[in-house]
Amino acid sequence: METNLILEGFKFMALGMGTVFLFLITLIVLMNLMSTVLHKFFPEPSAANLESQTPNQKDNKKIIAAISAAISHHRQG
Amino acid sequence: MRFFLIKIVALLLFSFAALHANAEAANGSTHKEENYKPKPLAEMVSGFLASTGINALINPDPNEKSAHGEDMSDFHKSWGRVIMILITFLLFYLAIKKGFEPLLLLPIAFGGLLANIPVAGIAGETGFLGVIYSMGLSNEMFPIIIFMGVGAMTDFGPLLSNPKTALLGGAAQFGIFGTLVGAVALSQMGFVDFTLQQASAISIIGGADGPTSIFIATKLAPELLGAIAVASYSYMALVPIIQPPIMKALTTDAERKIRMTTLRHVSRLEKLIFPILVLVLAILVLPEATPLIGAFMFGNFLKESGVVERLNDTLQNALINIVTIFLGLGVGSKLASDQFLVPDTMFIMVLGVVAFSVGTAAGIIMAKIMNLFPGHKINPLIGSAGVSAVPMAARVSNKVGMEYDRSNMLLMHAMGPNVAGVIGSAVAAGVLISLFQ
Repeated sequence: METNLILEGFKFMALGMGTVFLFLITLIVLMNLMSTVLHKFFPEPSAANLESQTPNQKDNKKIIAAISAAISHHRQG
Repeated sequence: MRFFLIKIVALLLFSFAALHANAEAANGSTHKEENYKPKPLAEMVSGFLASTGINALINPDPNEKSAHGEDMSDFHKSWGRVIMILITFLLFYLAIKKGFEPLLLLPIAFGGLLANIPVAGIAGETGFLGVIYSMGLSNEMFPIIIFMGVGAMTDFGPLLSNPKTALLGGAAQFGIFGTLVGAVALSQMGFVDFTLQQASAISIIGGADGPTSIFIATKLAPELLGAIAVASYSYMALVPIIQPPIMKALTTDAERKIRMTTLRHVSRLEKLIFPILVLVLAILVLPEATPLIGAFMFGNFLKESGVVERLNDTLQNALINIVTIFLGLGVGSKLASDQFLVPDTMFIMVLGVVAFSVGTAAGIIMAKIMNLFPGHKINPLIGSAGVSAVPMAARVSNKVGMEYDRSNMLLMHAMGPNVAGVIGSAVAAGVLISLFQ
């Protein structure tokens, strides 16, 4: 028992580093796989984002109208 | 005002009635005290003097037991406590003046101060530090909650945009296992007597991850928790001092000036799926690591989901702050002189800094090895960020890089190995736990 303590330490190291690398390498493969799959099936709607800027103004007007209607309703009530 | 007066009158009436009832209960006999006998003044004064802290420090009570109900040496009851209190003052200085991780070092140091008070037994089983310890440390609750908060603060974007940097976070875990071998070698040579459990708990300091260190220490070697936590947090604070010389020694000037390609944009969906991905992988490979990784990914998932802003905010701020206070005080209770002023502590401090340095070096060497392969080159300076210590280690990489090329921003590149280091040390912790099952 006493004599092989360092050997035990090296065994721990082999197993530990092995698991850590196995885990991270699998993770890297999965991350790459995920990004390929996602880019293929769910492309980023970057162009659509830019277009959606314009109707925002209309929305704002609608919101302002709704708020002022609510305020006037509240004042009457 | 009138209501107030009425209330006072009513109160007075009540108290009179109560007094009257009391007097009737005593039934005319002379007033009795159960635990008190009349004493002459001189005896009272000497009795009081015997109960002071000065007396307890000068003439230690032979019957006093440590927080664990074991016998303590006279040194640990008297001068040991004075030395420990001075050490906590030093920790105050380091935390306040030098800015060493004050958020944790201050509660730990103050807990240490309270734990070394004679007579009061604050760190004992019924003392409030002892209660805090058994409430959340001996059952590993607090480190887990901290991990949730850290998860909510972590952005995996840099790692997702350059996945291979995760290898650097893996290599840095070499610090843990290298130190483990070092610690058992020391006990083999007869300098100290560390069991394999204790050696494992000490070596996890190389993971540079406070909650993980505390988690492992409470599981494998609770008697060393104080020293391990203090070493872990003080070295994390010392990252800007420990790492740069190693980084400079192991890299050439040309390597330090390597520019890395800009990170690609990471979609929200990727960030949302990532925590689940890691957790599923952990479930399949290493269930022992799932308490840590699960809590971490829970926090990150709440953040990335984007629909529970309130919970995310609580995890990142209120909850982690509250738990940090308790965690610090609980760890501080382990700074009692009988547990800290032992030769083991010195070895833990030395092994801790070795673990840190080896981890740093391993990360850098790994980056250099990866540069031998075709593909985008990696600046080896980000390898040192593989020891977790988020975000301090990444900032150090950035700072050293800027010393050689003002316009070379490495911070975001270094965050990849940095967060991978957190996952790596949680995996390493899981391996160590599984080995002792």
